Amino acid sequence: MSQAAISVRNIRKAFGQQTVLNDVSLEIPAGETFALLGRNGAGKTTLIRILLGLLEPDVGSVSVAGLDPQSKPIELRRRVGYLAEDQVMYEWMTPVELCRFLAPFYPTWDHKLADDYLDRFEIPRHARIGRLSKGQRVKLGLTVALAHRPQVAILDDPALGLDPIARKEFNRDLVEHIQAARGTVLYSSHLLDEVEAVADSVAILDSGRIVRFAATDVLRAEVKQIILDYNAAADLPLPAGLLDVRRSGSRLLAVVDGAEKFIDQLVVSGVEHEVVELNLHEIFEAFVIGRPQEWPQHGARVVLAQK
Amino acid sequence: MFIRIERGSSSPVSRQIAEQIRAQCLSGALRPGESLPSVRQLARELAVNVNTVFRVYEQMAADKFIEMRHGDGTYVLPRAAPRENSRQMAAQREQYELEFNAIVHRGMLLGLQLPEFRRLLAAAVAAERRGTGEASPLRATKSRAVPSSDNTP
Repeated sequence: MSQAAISVRNIRKAFGQQTVLNDVSLEIPAGETFALLGRNGAGKTTLIRILLGLLEPDVGSVSVAGLDPQSKPIELRRRVGYLAEDQVMYEWMTPVELCRFLAPFYPTWDHKLADDYLDRFEIPRHARIGRLSKGQRVKLGLTVALAHRPQVAILDDPALGLDPIARKEFNRDLVEHIQAARGTVLYSSHLLDEVEAVADSVAILDSGRIVRFAATDVLRAEVKQIILDYNAAADLPLPAGLLDVRRSGSRLLAVVDGAEKFIDQLVVSGVEHEVVELNLHEIFEAFVIGRPQEWPQHGARVVLAQK
Repeated sequence: MFIRIERGSSSPVSRQIAEQIRAQCLSGALRPGESLPSVRQLARELAVNVNTVFRVYEQMAADKFIEMRHGDGTYVLPRAAPRENSRQMAAQREQYELEFNAIVHRGMLLGLQLPEFRRLLAAAVAAERRGTGEASPLRATKSRAVPSSDNTP
């Protein structure tokens, strides 16, 4: 119903011979918290830089907060809060000076909110930024990314460099300030346990492609591990949506996307099985390094059917 | 109300919250009429998505454990209603088990063996599911989670 806060259509981006993003599409409704998951080098930062207009896609279109990042870069920055992976800030300024310096660029800058963040994150107000610790700099980056109450916050691995307590504080702020105010958040992260509690939806980016994009709870409901007898599995056709297969003695452990269908199939053919729920970490792993080709095969018949 | 979320658990966050509130309602730790924290408060406290908490509250309200009064707050409902339900449910299950045993007995008289019973049962369940769609209670029992194993034996 509501307009998408972030919309990416069929984007492709290559650096020389190397394709970094390949036919990437995303639609994030306003008010949602969205997490971009992927290993290092999967293309997360490139996608984020395209969303901000810092890079131009070779093919495809982008809209963020209703604007095209390429044609409306200034207006876009007013509506979007951005924290880069390795945010560079003027090292000779103090945090208070930095806030005063940035405020005039943003019509919606909230001095009180900026002040609250400095307090909560325990950032020394009058120390030179060059002297701050890594964690303190990340927190300062978050402060200035959120102080103008952006419609859309785009955060490239914000939890990187935060200690566990600060991470929890950060997640709280996300929930309390941004989600409760119906703001939209796109962030990348490697901390899947935390993503699961906070994100409405997630996308798994692998080698420049989005391999899965779903609501967090839907993903957990649809991807499950099924344990069955190894020999019984050999008599079955390759299940649709098979992500990973492991053998453990006489048992076969299969991770399947769209598990319900496979379970129904097992029930119909009377194959005994056990269903195991997976956490987001295990699901991510199955998508990114799963080995579905290990499914057992009886004779050449099945091999022919597969290839 | 005290709730503890285990992050990275194989049980989804929403289920963890729902189960703990339900248990506290049933045990009497949460008394009828007692007020629950608002969706926002609980989301903040647990650092959990606001929409997740909202959906849990909605489901608990549908199950008659709590009541969400518009513009007022969320309150624990008297337990009489759910208890009554579960007693009825238990009685019905008992009756069903008797009937089931009778059917099995007849099959054994006809010389059916365990594998045949299994096949019949599986086929019947599958047919039933195709016919009646998602909401069969049997389905919920069957796919119950078993503990996830990182260090699979």
